[in-house]
Amino acid sequence: MIHTTQHDDSITVVRPGVERLTAQNATGFKNEVVELIDQGNSQIIVDFSQVSFLDSSGLGALVGVLKKIGHRGDLLIADLNSDVEQMFRICRMDRVLPIHRNVDAALQSLRERQ
Amino acid sequence: MNSQSYTMSNALEAVDPMVQRLSAAVEPSLSDPTRFKFELCISEALNNLVAHARPKASAAEININLRVKPAAISIEIFDPAGAEPFDLREKATDLAQVDEMAEGGRGLGLIMEFANEVEYGQSVSGYSLLLKFWDIEPNHTTMPPAEGACE
Repeated sequence: MIHTTQHDDSITVVRPGVERLTAQNATGFKNEVVELIDQGNSQIIVDFSQVSFLDSSGLGALVGVLKKIGHRGDLLIADLNSDVEQMFRICRMDRVLPIHRNVDAALQSLRERQ
Repeated sequence: MNSQSYTMSNALEAVDPMVQRLSAAVEPSLSDPTRFKFELCISEALNNLVAHARPKASAAEININLRVKPAAISIEIFDPAGAEPFDLREKATDLAQVDEMAEGGRGLGLIMEFANEVEYGQSVSGYSLLLKFWDIEPNHTTMPPAEGACE
């Protein structure tokens, strides 16, 4: 389901590979990203540019990924549409998942931390 | 007013196709931001029913009535026959109280946050959740419907 792009500086960009991240596919998404983490990827950007809809199960999957990374790395969110971003903020997810306007901005943020 | 009825099997894989079908039905009547809220609330309500309602017959279906007016929508989701009544208004957790690191527990709170009205009760057709949505976006000049206008 997910598509990944590996950058030279050990940053992995993940595209969920679905237009809608819902209860039907959120567990599969989470499991695939957790597998990436188990393989040693700990600087992850999730690119939402192709995702138009996300429900609370999708949010829960992201929290699950964040817990898996823990203090070993970073999980950043990029390119949310305005409706999904509003939902993120209302659920206060922006407190634990940094939101960037696009992947390039998220990459820059991660590289500045390295 | 346009009224439509739908029937959905009590199964997780049936939820999102139904949500998209309902969203398409209301597309001409709601702005995109309000339609997103509509989609989200319906998705949360149906997922909650499928996950937690325990009808006596596992094949019990979920019936849905949709009433569409310009810039105002009401949708009634019936509990599957034999399920225990569940008033989500009593169970929803305020989103501000949900731990940011919790992997669940936001669905009912999102319904309470995003639907303009939330009701639950019993009629001759069984227990049902009634949600109402209307536009107050600048590009929609229609005022919110008066009390009971969607009934």
